[in-house]
Amino acid sequence: MVYLNIDAQAQNTYDAIVIGSGISGGWAAKELTAKGLRTLVLERGRDVRHVTDYPTTNMQPWEFEHRGQLTREVKAANPIISRCYAFYEGSEQFFVKDAEHPYVQEKPFDWIRGYQVGGKSLMWARQTQRWSDFDFDGPARDGFVVDWPIRYADLAPWYSYVEKFAGISGNKDGLAQLPDGEFLPPHEWNCVEKHFSQQMTKKYQNARPVIMGRAAHITEPRPIHFQQGRAQCQHRTICERGCPFGGYFSSNSSTIPWAAKTGKMTLRPHSVVHSIIYDEKRNKAVGVRVVDSESKQMMEFYARIIFVNAAALNTNLVLLNSTSNRFPNGLGNDSGLMGKYVAFHNYRAGVSGQYDGLLDSTTDGRRPNSPYIPRFRNLHRQETDFLRGYAAGFSAGRISRNSQDGIGADLKTNLLTQNLGGWYVGSHMMGETIPKETNFVALDSAQKDPYGIPQLKISVGYDDNDEKMVKDYLEQMTEMFTAAGFTNIRTRDDKRNPGLDIHEMGGVRMGKDPKTSLLNKWNQLHAVKNVFVTDGASMTSTSTQNPSLTYMAMTARSVDYAVKEMKKANL
Amino acid sequence: MAIAVGGFISLPAWANGWNATTVPATYRILSRQQDELLAIVVDTIIPTTTVNGNDSPGARALGVHQFLQKMVNDCYEPDAQQTLTKGLTATDVLAQQTYNRPFADCDTAQRIEVLNRMSQAEEPTQKGFYRLVKGLTIRGYMNSEYVMTNLTHYQMIPGHYYGCVPVPATAPSLTQPK
Repeated sequence: MVYLNIDAQAQNTYDAIVIGSGISGGWAAKELTAKGLRTLVLERGRDVRHVTDYPTTNMQPWEFEHRGQLTREVKAANPIISRCYAFYEGSEQFFVKDAEHPYVQEKPFDWIRGYQVGGKSLMWARQTQRWSDFDFDGPARDGFVVDWPIRYADLAPWYSYVEKFAGISGNKDGLAQLPDGEFLPPHEWNCVEKHFSQQMTKKYQNARPVIMGRAAHITEPRPIHFQQGRAQCQHRTICERGCPFGGYFSSNSSTIPWAAKTGKMTLRPHSVVHSIIYDEKRNKAVGVRVVDSESKQMMEFYARIIFVNAAALNTNLVLLNSTSNRFPNGLGNDSGLMGKYVAFHNYRAGVSGQYDGLLDSTTDGRRPNSPYIPRFRNLHRQETDFLRGYAAGFSAGRISRNSQDGIGADLKTNLLTQNLGGWYVGSHMMGETIPKETNFVALDSAQKDPYGIPQLKISVGYDDNDEKMVKDYLEQMTEMFTAAGFTNIRTRDDKRNPGLDIHEMGGVRMGKDPKTSLLNKWNQLHAVKNVFVTDGASMTSTSTQNPSLTYMAMTARSVDYAVKEMKKANL
Repeated sequence: MAIAVGGFISLPAWANGWNATTVPATYRILSRQQDELLAIVVDTIIPTTTVNGNDSPGARALGVHQFLQKMVNDCYEPDAQQTLTKGLTATDVLAQQTYNRPFADCDTAQRIEVLNRMSQAEEPTQKGFYRLVKGLTIRGYMNSEYVMTNLTHYQMIPGHYYGCVPVPATAPSLTQPK
């Protein structure tokens, strides 16, 4: 900043800077601008405007040159992103290609990223289960990592706050392990899913409830959704292309345009954050260094507070690269733990089967959601030889089948004679993994990215606890499927790489003690009070629930605190 | 949004982008003769038929031979192109051997017989050709605008999910345009 004249510096000065415009950055932008702060939102990718920048959103299946299939060229150039379930001809434009931002894999890790305004909130799976005290108490009870500095009660009002705005569908199930929220009507069950839920109640006496997933879909719009220009979900189930109805929550459809309406937000795409600028005299961060990805120029922007919402691993990268005499190992990294204790969700295993009953019923339409089995393992007490547990997705359905036998007119008749097949059932696991010092990210000492920023070295793998959990999930789900009368039960462990779950968390964890954590209970760096981290990087442990809703709630809570502190002149 | 309906006999709008005059030369992986032969092959696999006095277009009328070439060129491994071109040659050779005429001059029954023999051949090119072409013909046909709009009634915007509805008493024949 010493190189800039006063005018240029004033022009580049804001009240707040938000790094990233994804699911948590969007919330930071919305909350900061609502409180009157002039806010600069830095996004490393291009702008993606709601509706107008969803080029494939209204394309019919036959309008895709390859009917949705990825080309040989795309797959060969992108082995990592091609493994992502949501990456296909209709959504390619929203995912980071392998060569775009290289990283070093000390162990195989599929880093799935979305560099654009809205980040991955455009293509996320929209599952929004609250975390509970079974999650926040976990490390203290089971003796791993460090105690969370917050409990469910700290977040509960903020869950309610973000749920009402985002639009979350769900049923009030009254479960302590998966607290109820501010729900729009839930999605419907089909007959076999209902049957499964009833059979599980019978067999396990309510110890293994099966509920309808809570999902960020507007099943019945409220005035607050109409005010955002969003309408009821139309059940197209092609969400990852962007939704012209705003039927699901994304930064693009919701928080970013809401922040823009205040007139307080400056959104700057093509802004790759290099590092955060630390002023040693004032003992605080004063701004952000940015490489403009189009001009390749390094620029500086200044603000009183900085929210880091670059997505879990990139937040680690930005902070690790923010070095100074005071913080030679990364901003706020006095403990030396920054980048360590990274964890994820174990999605390796699944079980499928069929059901030969209820053949007089079927479904009509499509559902962008499915039933959910909250964690039941080791919930109230330790009962297995592994720590923690897993949640699971569950769904049933029937599909029309046709015979592809024959040739000529016979084949044509066969193809067009569709017979409703029996019921298929399926489940997949979502396992909590235990953060460890040996699962870490760090700056690579040699390799740089195209902007001259060190590449991120990722060293994250499964451990024995994960292997045991996979085995237990397969056994338990087989038992549950069998009890429900399902047949032809097949188990699978695809041994996918960590990262493909897209739930990587940690590295800048919250905690009570600055010696063993980076952030305090307000997601504030212990050592640099005007820097807040409210994305996945802040997570002390991973729970089994999809984390996005928790990032949203934490962000709103943290902004509220930060602005109060500013008003008290503490920041 | 507009949902296109119709396109019974004429090429539907999407296929117009692919006809021989507008598909860029780089996408042409077959010669004009091979392209014509492939069109006859796909139309033998899924022919135009008459249902209640109305023509129901076959694979050729829906441009499936063009789609097939695009898929083989863009999405398949290079050896699939070999399978395609060698298989087309083999098709004509087999027609000559069996009926003393090129495949194009065979009648429908003869064409079906040639393709059936290829499907049962021990020789990998013939068998592979049949599997590749039949699979992509089915895919191109079932995912064509004509079939998805008029026959299988794809709904882009269902607007609902009803979990438990009775199975219709009789499965409607999908070959009847509604």
